Amino acid sequence: MAERLEILLLDDEPIVGKRLKPALEKSGCKVEVFENPLEAMDRLEQKRFDIVVTDIRMDEMDGLQVLERVLAKWPQTKVIMITGYAMMALARESMEKGAFDFIAKPFRPDDLRRVIAKAAKALGSSIDFNTAGSKQS
Amino acid sequence: MSIIVISADDRAAEDQIGSRTAEITGYGRLEYGLLKEIAAKYDIEEEKLAEALEREPSLLRGMPPKKWYYYLACIEAEVLERLAADKMVTWSLAAHLYVLGISHALRVRILSDSEKMAKAVAEENGVSLQKARKILAKRQRQRVQWSQAAYGQDETDPALYDLVINLGQIDPDEAAATIAKAVGYRKFEPMTYSRKCLANLLLAAKVKTRLLETMSDIDVQSRDGRVIVTTKALRRDKQKKTLAIKELAGSVEGVNFVEVHFNNDIFKEAAQSLR
Repeated sequence: MAERLEILLLDDEPIVGKRLKPALEKSGCKVEVFENPLEAMDRLEQKRFDIVVTDIRMDEMDGLQVLERVLAKWPQTKVIMITGYAMMALARESMEKGAFDFIAKPFRPDDLRRVIAKAAKALGSSIDFNTAGSKQS
Repeated sequence: MSIIVISADDRAAEDQIGSRTAEITGYGRLEYGLLKEIAAKYDIEEEKLAEALEREPSLLRGMPPKKWYYYLACIEAEVLERLAADKMVTWSLAAHLYVLGISHALRVRILSDSEKMAKAVAEENGVSLQKARKILAKRQRQRVQWSQAAYGQDETDPALYDLVINLGQIDPDEAAATIAKAVGYRKFEPMTYSRKCLANLLLAAKVKTRLLETMSDIDVQSRDGRVIVTTKALRRDKQKKTLAIKELAGSVEGVNFVEVHFNNDIFKEAAQSLR
């Protein structure tokens, strides 16, 4: 794992990437944002990310497919699902397919930071996520 | 860690399987014994709480609907508070009717061996098997009515559950082992979303309890500290009731916004305004 957590953020709503990228970068993460799942998958073919944060409902490919393909290629990667259409069945299906966590929209950037901190810990990251932001700035 | 919610058509089977499941999983138990604590906290007779869990309201028995709903709300709030700690098995406290939409709660229905139950009832009451079957059918109808009146759900509906086990085919120890294995499936692991759903249910239950102490016809939903109360009131009382609800609900820890909606019977309201 790189010294900085490498995160791929995929959501077809541009506002999500715009809001979350700076919040995560402030915490010391390296973030690549995609709005198109096919482009994100191309990137994931080339490079392993520590964490993938993906929306579920997207036109070209849904988040569950993204989850399956990421884990097939990079089993160590932690995949966090985010959706505005959260329902129990979808949450359970995501977990069953190997998602690290599932978050309902709307959420605050701090909610995602907390989950990413948990994922970083599970990856054995020595980054102190709570203080990384202040160290970086 | 997850939550296991067990419901059965026979109290003894519920106790046996609930206890055995708690032993196997090492989870905490949340059952009838909690009523004593709830009674002390809310200054209610323990027997009244037990009765509210068993029977519908009745003015003749000194259990008016207003109190019945309040007692049930107290139980709900206290059970949900404890379930938030995870790793719990609960039974006999009606949690199967209000722990809804929580993906890390495994909901189990136990069906007893109906012939065995009929024999036991026949022996206990000194009646024929045929009569015993009728007694059991009546008890089941009463439970359906109770669950529908209390929570708008038919507790015998298998669609409410993740797992239904028939003790006519599987012995209680095997049933508990099956439950313990099922709760280990990844789909029942807690996640940010399911924990939030549980926190939302808990906050709504706390607000409902606070309001039902003095009011009736209250329904509460909550999301991230935002609470929506639906109630009834005559037009002339709406403003006063809104203020009272906002004050009471706003005093519950964790509430940061209260919205009040009125769901009135317009025909009744019109008739009343003509009096």
